[in-house]
Parts: sequence; C-alpha cells; structure tokens
Amino acid sequence: MKFLGFWMEPRTETSPLSTLVIALITIALSIATMIGMFLLLGASPGVVLYSFFVEPLSSSYNLGEVLIKASPLILIAQGLAIGFRAKVWNIGAEGQLIIGAICASLLPIYWSDTDSAWLLPGMIVAGALAGMAWAGIAAFLRTKFNASEIIVTLMLTEIAKQVLYYLLTGALRDPSGYNFPQSVMFPDAGLYPTFGGEGVRANLSVFITLAMTVGCWIFVTKTFAAFRLLVGGVAPDAARYAGFSQRQAIWISMLIGGAAAGLAGVGEIAGPIGKLQPILSPGYGYAGIIVAFLGGLNPIGIFFAGLFMAVIYVGGDIALVSAGIPTSAPVVFQGLLLVFYLASSFFMRFKFRALPRERTATEGV
Amino acid sequence: MDALVFVLAGAMATAAPMLLAALGELVVEKAGVLNLSIEGMMAIAAAIAFMVTLGTHDHTLGLLAGVVSGVLLSLVFAMLVLVFMANQVAAGLAVGILGLGLSALLGRAYEGMTILPLAKLSIPVLSGLPVIGPVLFGQDVVVYLAFALAALIAWFLYATKAGLKLRVIGENPATAHALGLWPVATRLAAIAFGGAMAGLAGGYASTVLTPVWSQDMIAGRGWIAVALVVFGTWRPARIVVGAYLFGAVSLLGLALQALGIGIPSQLMTCMPYVLTIVVLVVISADKVRIRLNAPASLGENYRPTT
Amino acid sequence: MTNWMKRILVTGTMLAGLVTAAHADPFRIGYLIPNPVGDVGWSHELDAGAKAIQEHFGDKVEVQTVNSLGEGPDATRVMDKMVADGFNMLILGSFGYQQDGLKLAKRYPNLSVVHIGGYLNAKNFSTLAPRHYEAAYLCGMAAGMVTKSETLGVIAAFPLPEVLNIMNAYVLGAQSTNQSLKPVKVIWLNSWFDPAKEKASAESLASQGSDVIYSLFPGTPAPVAVAEQLGVYATVTHSDNTKYAPTKHLCAGQLNFGPVLIDKVQQAMDKAFKGDDVFAGVKEGTIAVAGLNNDLSADQKAQILATQDQMRAGTFNPFTGPIASNDGKDAVPAGTALDDAAIKSMKFLVKGIDTTIPN
Repeated sequence: MKFLGFWMEPRTETSPLSTLVIALITIALSIATMIGMFLLLGASPGVVLYSFFVEPLSSSYNLGEVLIKASPLILIAQGLAIGFRAKVWNIGAEGQLIIGAICASLLPIYWSDTDSAWLLPGMIVAGALAGMAWAGIAAFLRTKFNASEIIVTLMLTEIAKQVLYYLLTGALRDPSGYNFPQSVMFPDAGLYPTFGGEGVRANLSVFITLAMTVGCWIFVTKTFAAFRLLVGGVAPDAARYAGFSQRQAIWISMLIGGAAAGLAGVGEIAGPIGKLQPILSPGYGYAGIIVAFLGGLNPIGIFFAGLFMAVIYVGGDIALVSAGIPTSAPVVFQGLLLVFYLASSFFMRFKFRALPRERTATEGV
Repeated sequence: MDALVFVLAGAMATAAPMLLAALGELVVEKAGVLNLSIEGMMAIAAAIAFMVTLGTHDHTLGLLAGVVSGVLLSLVFAMLVLVFMANQVAAGLAVGILGLGLSALLGRAYEGMTILPLAKLSIPVLSGLPVIGPVLFGQDVVVYLAFALAALIAWFLYATKAGLKLRVIGENPATAHALGLWPVATRLAAIAFGGAMAGLAGGYASTVLTPVWSQDMIAGRGWIAVALVVFGTWRPARIVVGAYLFGAVSLLGLALQALGIGIPSQLMTCMPYVLTIVVLVVISADKVRIRLNAPASLGENYRPTT
Repeated sequence: MTNWMKRILVTGTMLAGLVTAAHADPFRIGYLIPNPVGDVGWSHELDAGAKAIQEHFGDKVEVQTVNSLGEGPDATRVMDKMVADGFNMLILGSFGYQQDGLKLAKRYPNLSVVHIGGYLNAKNFSTLAPRHYEAAYLCGMAAGMVTKSETLGVIAAFPLPEVLNIMNAYVLGAQSTNQSLKPVKVIWLNSWFDPAKEKASAESLASQGSDVIYSLFPGTPAPVAVAEQLGVYATVTHSDNTKYAPTKHLCAGQLNFGPVLIDKVQQAMDKAFKGDDVFAGVKEGTIAVAGLNNDLSADQKAQILATQDQMRAGTFNPFTGPIASNDGKDAVPAGTALDDAAIKSMKFLVKGIDTTIPN
C-alpha cells in the first residue's frame, strides 16, 4: 500500500534500536507540545520541565514516590497486557482494584489489634483473589453469553465504586471517626514495610511489581500458553484451527488482569493510604491501560513505560507547587504521550520502500 | 403521580446526550471502527459549548461550537486509526484522555458557572395534557432533534445506497475496496459524524441539560453511549429505547429517595449499570441476532494492499 | 570612636539587620484546596480565605494556593514539596488531607498546620470546623416561614457527620417557625460534582411538592439555579448564591474563613501557634446568613437576625432539648443542650425528617 508516495509493508521483526528511537521521538514531540501549552498558560517552561523530569529523581523521598506510583501502574499494566495481546479487553481494572482493596481490608479491620505476621500475606491473597473474582464475572458473561467484556467490566467498575461507598458509610466505617466514610487505620502489621529512610514511602509493593514483571516476562517469552494467547489475538481463525481454546484465553486473561489489579489495590491500602477510604486510586486502572500500550504490550517495555509515567505523575504534583500549573496539565500530557506514541509506532510496524517489492508467487494480497 | 411524570418526562432529557452520542457511535461502528473516545469528545464539547454560550448568550452558537470541537477531536482519532493504523481501542482511550484533560484545562476558569437553559417547548393544548403532556410535548428542541436524528440515521443506513455502502465497508472493507468503494474515506466521514454527534451531546449536557460547566461533569455517560450501541444490537430504534430506559432508571432512584422509600441510595445509583449488564447478557446470548447486526470487521484496521 | 557611639552603631546595625531580616523572608503559607475554585461553594470560600490572609498581612506573607488537589498520596506529595521548600505553615482545606498532614506536622515541629474539617490534633496541628449548623438553623427558620406546601426538600451528597447536624438544625429551625410541617424529604446523591444528578434531584423534590429546596454542600450551583427555574425557594450552604437564583434565593449560610485563619496565621508568626480544635460559628465571624429573600417581611428578617445576634452573644444553642429523634427516642432531654463533642458526633436524625442513613 502507498503512504505519501512510499510503498509500505509490515515489518516481520522490530529492532530494539527502532523501539528506542520511537520512544524518544514520542517523548520529544510530547514535550514540545507541552512547552507550547505551558507558554500559553503563562508558566515558565524551564521551571516546568525541571519539575517534571529532574526533581522527581532528586531526593530519596521523591524517588520513593516515583516507585510507589510506578508500582501499581506497572503491576496493572502487566496483568492487562497479557489479555490485550489476546484481544481480550479488560477495561475495568479500576473496579477490580477497588474490590481487591475492599476484601483485603476486611482482615485488618476485623483483626485491628493483631500484630500477626500472617496479616499481610492474608491481605495479599485476599486482594488478588477478590480482583480475580470480580474480573471473573466478566469472563463468565463473555464465555457463557458472549457479552462484550469491554462493557461489562466498565459497568462493574461503577458498581464497585458504589459497593465501596455503601460499605464505608455502613459496615466498615470507623465507629470513632465522627461518621466520616472511612475505615479504622490499619495496624502496623497490616501495612507494607517501607524502605529508603525516614519519611520515604517506597514499600513492599515495589518488589511485588518486580516479581510480577519477571513472572510476566517468563510467561510471555517462554510458555506455550502465552503463545496461544498471542495467536488467538493476532489470527483468531488460525488459532481456532489449531485448537487453541478461546474460552481458556478469555479466562486466563481476565483472571490474571483481575489479580494484578486486586494486588495493586492491596498495595494502595497497605501502603500510602493505610486504611479503606472512598478514593482509593487516582485512576490507576485506566492509566495502567495507557502504560500497557506505551510499553508495546511487552513486559520490559511496560516496566520502563510505567517508570516514565510515574515520573510524570510525581513531576506533575511538584510542578503544581513550583510552577503553578493546573492539575489537568499532566493529564493532557499523558494523552499527548499516548497519541504521539501510537502515531510514531506506525513507523516501527511498517517499513517503507521507494518502489514496490517484486511480487513472488507465495505472496498473497 | 408527580413522581411518575418526573421520571418519564425527565428521562427524555436525561437520555438525550447518551442517545445522541450512541447514534453517532452507531454509524462509526457500522463502518467498522470502534471509537472509545466518546467521553473525551463529549467533555471537550461541553467545555467549549459552555464557554461560547456564556460569551454570546446564544445557545445555537454554543451547540454548534460543541459540534465543531467534537469533530476536531474525532479527526485526531481518525488520523491515528486510518493513517497510522493504530489499534482502535488504544487510540480511542488515548484521544479520550486527551479530550478529558483538554476540557479541564480549557474550562478551568469557568468552573461551577451556570447559564440560563434552553426553554422547553410549550405547545398550546398538547403540553397541558396530563402525564403525556409534559412527557411527549414539553421537551426542549434538542430532545426532538435526537429522535429525528434516530429516524434519519435508520433511514440512511437501511434505505439508501450510501448507507448500504457504509455497511458493506463495515462488514468487509477489502471486498468493498475491490468493488470500487472507498473504505478509508467513508470511515473518515463516519468518524467525523460520530464526533459531531458526541459534540452535540456534550454541548447539550453543559448548556441545556444541567446547565453548568464543571470538570468531570460528563460523569461516565460517554461509556454508557458505547454500551447503548451494543445494548441496542446496532439498531437505531432499540438504541432509542435503551437510552430512555437508562435515563428513566437513573431518575427512578432519585424519585424513590424523594418519596422517602428507604432503599440504600448506593443501590439505586447502581441500578442503571446492573440493568445494562443484564440486558447486555440477554441480548448477547442470542448469537444469531448479534451476528446479524454487528459489523464483522468491527475493531480491525483496514490496510489496502493495492 | 567612643564606647557609646560604638554601642549605638552596633545596636543600630543589629536592629537594621533584624528589620531587613523580617522584611526579607515573608512567612510562607501553603494552601491546599480540593476542588476547582468556582464562583461559589466550598473551594471558592477557601480561596477567599487565602486572599483575605494575603490582603491582611500584605508583604509579610506569601500565600501559595494549589487547587483541584484530590485527596490521597498526590496531595501528600504536594504538602511534602511545600515543606521541603521551606514553607512555614500549611492550611489544608479538606478532610482527606488529615492523616498525612498530621504525619508531616509530627515530623516537622516548626511547621504550623491548620486542618479544616477534621478531628485530630497535635501541638502544631490545629483543626478548624465551621458551625454550619448555626446558619442552617437560621435558614430553616426562613424556610418554615415561607413554605406554603409545608414540604421542605434537602439534597445532600454523602451522609457525612457534619451533614447530619446541619440537616437537623435546619429542620429544627423550620419547626420553630412553622408547626404544621410535613416530613422533610431528603435525596442522597452519592457523588460529588454530578450537576445533572443535582438538577434531577431538585426536580424530583419539586415534583413531589417541596417548595423550598436546601442544597447541602452542593458541588455546583446547579440545584440552586434549577430551583429558580422551577419557581421554588432555594437555601444553600457555603456561599451566597443569589447570582444563580435572583428571585428565589431564600437564605445562605455564608462562610468566611478570613477572621479565624488570620488569627491562626498571626499565632504562627508570633510563634505562639496553638494546636487547638476551633469550632467557629457566628460568634467568630465564620458563619453568617446572607442573601435573605425580600419575600420575607421585615419582621421575619428581624426575627432571624435577632436569633443570629443571640448566637453571636453565645446565648442560643439550636440543639437545646427536648428534641426527639425520628426513630421515636428522646435524643436531647428537656433542660439539657448538646455540647460541641455531641454535636460533632451526632448520629441521629430529628423527628420530621423522612429518610434513612446506613447504620
């Protein structure tokens, strides 16, 4: 096919160099647009860029913040990417995160005086299972009734929010909290241990995410199951012909995604939040989708994309104070990143020639 | 039975933005493209339409401005999907987020402001009829426009040659191209139309329905529009019913609370979402119906090879 | 140079140094606002408070506001950044900033923090809660006076603690001027910032007979504007919303954070900051009625303002017994009045309100 006078055809493999170049071009274009925007907003671009990209890395506190922000992003993205590669669209990670957090919080709320070492593992297991179950509803409805998982997971997210509000104004509310909709503070045994020094909030979730990344990398590169998922997404007819079960693909994808989101939920309540409250996540479920795509649906790519996004989130918060930019500016930046990424990755997926290649007998349409 | 009138009449107006956006998405999906950025298009249209109406005191200009901004944002999506062959789900989410962020950024000076809404129609005898008076004959212009558009779109898709061509492109773009049709151009037009409808929907929400501009005011209705298309099995008439049903159920919760009936309010808030899932399951389980109406190439990008 | 000349020179230089030092470093205040700042409402009044501080102290302070800052780890990051940058004082405008604000206060003993809308204290962590309920009582009086359908409606976002004492005060006020009220209807929105829902709620209440609608902690002016369109009266918390309901705005419980905050800032600057729990109302100038409708007669207005004067003098407590709750029990026995702690932890609804709250 022709594109601006060049003939294009899909690449059979992508070189790591091109991946890096694409990443840099994406970032450069996004930054250039943002600079233009900041000038229009009346903020000094130099200060803003410094706040966004340099300050987050400038102190152990900030590095800790980047880590605890990257952790749920990467975790969720890894889980979702498994499904996205198989074209199973789990858009409801936000709801699965909430349900995971709710179920995990039951333990420290009802055993609020304990300092048992089993509390945290229990919370982690409960959160992952609960997230799985919530995503499992969508998997069930899709495999049994062919109901679109895009819509079911979206609806389930809204329902999850209401379940949270209901529980927080009722059964799970802190009785000595003057009626505020939040639970008791978790005992220390129910909080992730932190590291990095006084005041730094980097915690266990970082290691959980690392483990998930490694696990996904092994799964994706080494297992046949992942190959089946990939084929099911890229060439569903071929997959069916080969006997790869679509039902299985859907279940595996949704359960892994749900478990990851649930784990991320546990990370929030056992981490910086330290209790159950109405706002558990600033949209990690949706941001995780962006990270998954920015990372090219590849475990290593997701890892770096997640770190980059976290730097931007943290930098955005810093820029709020030092450059006075509005809270919506980082959101626009993220949107731009994804748009430019999608546009520039086009050049990575196709190669261009000046003249059409000689057609051979084996080439189809 | 004032609660009944409140629910039935109010549902018309509440449904209008979702109906408009869903009708636009219907056309886009019938052409084979899945556009998930509706929420963002509605948001930016809401912001721009509000700002223009506030400045010019003219609702028509405001709604037009909303339409234009919806179209512009949809063109970004079109470029990603048609030119850069990006994955449609990812592109939709990206443009959606961009739209949400831009709307908050542009509209931040107008946060919480309000303007006078469009007057509801008042037809001499008909509007005064009990119950059906306010429900059917006491709505504002855009509600009637939405119904008219539904009929127009149904006619276009199923009774015109152009509509047939669009549907063929949605089923199998490669074959369509071989037949001499223009898949890319048609899809571009469809996406722009979807943007215009979403823009009208968003503009309506902020300049007529509420009428207030506030960041996050679209509150998930763009996603409901996506759901409505599937809900209605890609047929305009059913989408109309679905939108109305959704609007009525969301108001029912408020009416029950005002009546003093003691159902937990969170349960009432959940009702529309639960209902959507239930109906979706019922409809989707009928595989024949789905296959008849869902465009076969929905979500797949078309790459002409000649 | 003789000794006394030297002494004068040294003292003079020192004084000059002190003075320039005092002028050189303005007292830096970080002011966190949870939502976008609009024309009216909680965030607007918070912002007005920030401006009042800046205006009162002029060059001596530098107030930096950050708005639209959601509760959660992000807000904490901003707070931490401010402290790291050397801010002397933080003013936190939302309940959700409490835990992390408290942690910061404990880590930095020289920091002064005022938290608006919470309940924990520390040596350098003070809480400020407005006595919304006082204005609620007064607006309730107005509502009771003007209602013809004897039905009042209330729209509230979430069943927060303050919301209950405000709602109760409103109904008690209405009952004090109107003995034939029907049960008050309540709609819980269960979300912030959903103007379509706020509007629909106002319509729902109006369609079922309410002719005065109370917007309790509204996210936008939508319910007030809708009340005007529907031709019913509007009462509201936080700000005077007359702009949105020119003919039907009945009464607002106007917030004014200036006086109390200026006081706390002065305390902090004088290094005499108290980590106390300030419950401020009409007496301190934090709450007042505003936007009283001209449909009220001069006598009626005078009656309302007279009650307000009593509150200012500290002689009127809206929660003076006997008060019955809506599940038949005796919430406040005759001859007693609720103290601040009881008001803040109120869990009952007074008789005459027709709704249920979870648990």
